[in-house]
Amino acid sequence: MLRVEGLRKAFRTRTGPVQAVDGVSFEAPDGQITGLLGPNGAGKTTTLRMLYTLMSPDAGRVLVDGADPALEPVRVRSALGVLPDARGIYKRLTARENVAYFGHLHGMDDRLIEVRTQRLVEALDMRDFIDRRAEGFSQGQRTKTAIARALVHDPRNVVLDEPTNGLDVMTTRSLRVFLLGLRAEGRCVLLSSHIMQEVAQLCDRIVVIAHGRVVAEGTPDELRAATGCANLEDAFVHAIGSDEGLFA
Amino acid sequence: MSARAMWVVLRKELLDAFRDRRMVLVAFLVMPLAVPLVLAGTTALGARKQAQQLESRLQLPVIGAEHAPNLVDWLRQRNVEILPAPEDADAAVRTQRHDVVLRIDPEYSIEWRAGRPAQVEVIFDSSRPLASGATIARVRGLLDGYAQTVGTLRLVARGIHPAVAAPLLIGTRDVATPESRFDLSQQLLPYLLLLLAFIGGMQLAIDATAGERERQSLEPLLATPASRESIISAKILATALFALTSITVTLLAYRVSFDLMPTGMVDASFELGPAALARLFVVILPVVLLGATVLTALAAFARSYREAQGYLPLLIFLPMVPTLVLMVAPVRTQLWMLAVPFLGQNQLILRVLRGESISAAEWLVNVGAGLLLVAVAWVIAARLYHREQLAASS
Repeated sequence: MLRVEGLRKAFRTRTGPVQAVDGVSFEAPDGQITGLLGPNGAGKTTTLRMLYTLMSPDAGRVLVDGADPALEPVRVRSALGVLPDARGIYKRLTARENVAYFGHLHGMDDRLIEVRTQRLVEALDMRDFIDRRAEGFSQGQRTKTAIARALVHDPRNVVLDEPTNGLDVMTTRSLRVFLLGLRAEGRCVLLSSHIMQEVAQLCDRIVVIAHGRVVAEGTPDELRAATGCANLEDAFVHAIGSDEGLFA
Repeated sequence: MSARAMWVVLRKELLDAFRDRRMVLVAFLVMPLAVPLVLAGTTALGARKQAQQLESRLQLPVIGAEHAPNLVDWLRQRNVEILPAPEDADAAVRTQRHDVVLRIDPEYSIEWRAGRPAQVEVIFDSSRPLASGATIARVRGLLDGYAQTVGTLRLVARGIHPAVAAPLLIGTRDVATPESRFDLSQQLLPYLLLLLAFIGGMQLAIDATAGERERQSLEPLLATPASRESIISAKILATALFALTSITVTLLAYRVSFDLMPTGMVDASFELGPAALARLFVVILPVVLLGATVLTALAAFARSYREAQGYLPLLIFLPMVPTLVLMVAPVRTQLWMLAVPFLGQNQLILRVLRGESISAAEWLVNVGAGLLLVAVAWVIAARLYHREQLAASS
């Protein structure tokens, strides 16, 4: 389970400080897919980066299965499977070697890595390219390798930053099936997206972020009820205050 | 820091590097071929030039040869070919058309007959000692010889013993051991070695940090339980190991090139046996580690691959400084100098090659100071790795 309480983060830029995240709180329970929806620049990536220990918050805190990354970074990183916004893989290694590298970094032994990799290869349909070097992989193959690498250590919590970015329709569909499988296994899945349809289709709970703040939160039904809009799309636009950057 | 995580990262970095064909080609083929070729080439060229200058027929343009027929004849007997005078002697020397031009004063025969010093002028360019030094020395030696011969004859003709005019008998004894007789290539070797040691792992270091970030794989890596200290240490070690392997191959190639050279072409007597190689390794090891750490820190500091490569000229220049200083102002080694990075190593490499002994205190100062510097650089590199901008640049 992931919990975020009053997160704040500012960046210094040439044009002055920018408050990227301005008091974000939400919860992503186990066995559910939670969607972080917001237009580009709303603070989704920064929020996730604080969650997976890459950045430390100016204020507020993160709890991953009850552990605070500031105090127990290693425990948090072990409990998390992360597909960051940056999902580069090593071109001169095969997909299998890429996955095994991260398994070893998580302290797994070769046998366990092999078993886990095999399971992920089947779930993500990677048989055709698992033993090929990553040089020349398609965007979909790269993303699948990056997801397998993120999940090789069998984490309870899965964080994905814009997982369907740049994927074609078929790959997006198979990825959706895969994420539903993770939910069925009782994992906590948190994904960010700026694509409303995707979040509406996939997520049990939706956290709408705009300008670094949570502007609405709940199940799709709750969101419709709270905004008084019968249509989910209208509900989002109503919550965010504009439809800028929401439609793919 | 965990040894296990370090081993995992180290193994991956080396695997990654050795699959980079261009990187391997440069480190294990181009360098081992280029360095011996450059060194052997300069040596062979120098040796040939010297032999030519000393033994070949010396071509000497003479202005006013008609004023001193005896001197000219005497020169001709000593393997000198007298050439007609060029129109502008100064220009001819400056443009390297001739190394030396001899000018005989029009008053020469008058002064000569009167028994007064007759004037001859040697026109040369002192700014090119390597190119024309031997020729100049040869012409001067010939003129000195002629002057002495005639002077002695004049003294004898006046009934004076020639020894009167020679109050000193100057003998010389060269105490250089075969190893300490240096040729040019051996002066270049310490610099090339230090340069290779310092930036030999450059490509790997930049690729492993700046490249990893640019290819967007650094962020997921930093989200794993491996600590940043483990990751950076492994990347530094991978860089150092790669550089060391490249240097070993290069040194061995250099050693082999020695055996292939015709004898007499090079002074092959200098020390490069297994013991000397081992000592060279101890000398350059701190430099290799320092280079790997500094390069990794720079790669973490730079915002891009290109920016990291932009620091390269500076890094190439750094090991050159002590060599330049020693060229301009050769100094006797003092203990504190061995603590100065590059200067100390340069001195010790020279001494290893000359086959001189190095005391325990000297080893301690040199290697200790080197490793201390590595530790400082490591702390800086680790701090740079902890910056949030490192992974989250976009």
